[in-house]
Amino acid sequence: MKIRFWGVRGSIPAPGPDTNRYGGNTSCVSVTGDNGGLVIIDMGTGLMHLGNSLLAREFGKGHGKASILLSHTHWDHIQGLGFFAPVFIPGNQFTVWGPGPYGSSDMLEDILEGQMDPNFSPLQTLKNLAATFEVKAAPLGTPFTAEGMTITAHEHPHGSTTALAFRIEDGGRTFVYASDVGQPEADAPPSEAAVAFYKGADVLLHDTTYFPHNQITRRNRGFSTYEDAGAAAIAAGVKRLVTFHYDQDYIDDDVDALIEACRTWLDTRGGKDIELIPAREGDEITI
Amino acid sequence: MKVRFWGVRGSIPVPGRTTNRYGGNTSCVEVRPKGGHPIIIDAGTGLRRLGKSLMEDAFGEGKGKASILISHTHWDHVQGLPFFSPAYQKGNEIAIYARQRDMHLEAVFSAQNRAPYFPVPLSAMQAQMKFHEVIEGQKFTIGTAKVSVTRLNHPWIAIAYRVDVDGASVVYCSDTAPFADFLLGTDFVKQAPSLDGPLPPETAAELAQMRAGVINLARNADLLIYDTQFSKEEYRQRPHWGHSHPDDAIAIAREAKAKTLCLFHHAPLRTDDENDQILEQFRGVVAAQHDRFALVSAYEGLEIPLGDE
Repeated sequence: MKIRFWGVRGSIPAPGPDTNRYGGNTSCVSVTGDNGGLVIIDMGTGLMHLGNSLLAREFGKGHGKASILLSHTHWDHIQGLGFFAPVFIPGNQFTVWGPGPYGSSDMLEDILEGQMDPNFSPLQTLKNLAATFEVKAAPLGTPFTAEGMTITAHEHPHGSTTALAFRIEDGGRTFVYASDVGQPEADAPPSEAAVAFYKGADVLLHDTTYFPHNQITRRNRGFSTYEDAGAAAIAAGVKRLVTFHYDQDYIDDDVDALIEACRTWLDTRGGKDIELIPAREGDEITI
Repeated sequence: MKVRFWGVRGSIPVPGRTTNRYGGNTSCVEVRPKGGHPIIIDAGTGLRRLGKSLMEDAFGEGKGKASILISHTHWDHVQGLPFFSPAYQKGNEIAIYARQRDMHLEAVFSAQNRAPYFPVPLSAMQAQMKFHEVIEGQKFTIGTAKVSVTRLNHPWIAIAYRVDVDGASVVYCSDTAPFADFLLGTDFVKQAPSLDGPLPPETAAELAQMRAGVINLARNADLLIYDTQFSKEEYRQRPHWGHSHPDDAIAIAREAKAKTLCLFHHAPLRTDDENDQILEQFRGVVAAQHDRFALVSAYEGLEIPLGDE
């Protein structure tokens, strides 16, 4: 399994020289399975650059196929869709798996349709995408198959709403994507359900939006600190922890400090053996 | 007045090393009359940093007043609004102007700022938010500034603004296609149309009228900010996207006798070096034609003083 980071920022893209090293694009991660299958997680602005890179492959000729896992539909996780070049090439096939209340995909499709409303988007409607674009409700807790990989979805709190985490298993390896993870209560241990879902992952990518002192005043926004991520990683016994979804106001030096603080926190809480990997735009890790 | 650029990019924000100098934020321009309240044109991602800077001032104490003129509500022109800190500060007054739509403007902006797209609804904005629907041809005042409006050639219709204040004028003309080949309205155009056939007379007349409106709006303007997302060749490949190119902007500036032309709404994938080359190339064109206007290219942080400062 190969995991590549195309957008690692939270809430809104943050351009500027002081975000060059980690990157300013919003959430988008690609996962390439051992058989070459492509799963994309979240459609932030990073998706545009992933899409442009795909044009050199079968997607440029309309022979591409991929699945897109959507954690939730806040703007920073869907705003790249209208700029994803492969959806404008007939013949390409995409299946979106996202939050479907009551197991129904209708509402999710309506939400994505609303994104293309003519007041906001020149596309006017999803029907104007040239590629096949199927929207499905991701079942919760029951594994399904996408592009040859086994996927399980788990719902966690995210501010006033919820978001989905995804566990991806392929070739005996496991990658978990858990972004926008709300921590409704201060000083609470990670939820048992979340720990069970992350259990034994080779790589856990976890929301590390905040330093603790910033979370205190913004707990209602539904994001984690590096401490929340570290605690989940230790409790679930994961091998590697990836930091992700940095606050839009953090410059590179701030993120450096956040990662250093996370390392220290892990070392002093029994997580010395966990490898800490900062998500940076353009970086790729192999499991 | 002072004109300051906070976002100069079209379509989608583009962070990264190749956009450091011109900037990767989407459209947002601040017009600051001498001793007056800010008049902001468009609410792309550049609005977030403008909002932060305003909070250091009266807006931080809930005593600020701002107007936001919206060219149209495509994402790249409104996506900064939910991140505009002064809107969440009680006591501030924010007036939003945009073109009349089928639905009320407040409903359009409410649809942007609500679940399941954004966690905070428009109603949570503590500032006094007022929405003003405007239409091409309209004139109104904001403090001592006079504002006029004309229509542009863009899908779902955009409008251009002229602001006259402190004895000077700035015109914001984005987003628009040239007014020669193709009329854009509310219909979705799937394929790039052929530009070689003759136009139906009524379409040609409507485009000519639109162009005359833009020339009139830009007449003798001290600063004309113009959509030059495309090169001429790129425009011919995508005329239905509703964006223009420097050759067309120069023709408009020349005819309107604008004093400075500012290239704006740079294509997302245009690198800093390419933007440098475009500016250099068209400065050559302007010099060769003995044009009397100055040519600049917008970058984040560019500040242009006009008239009485």
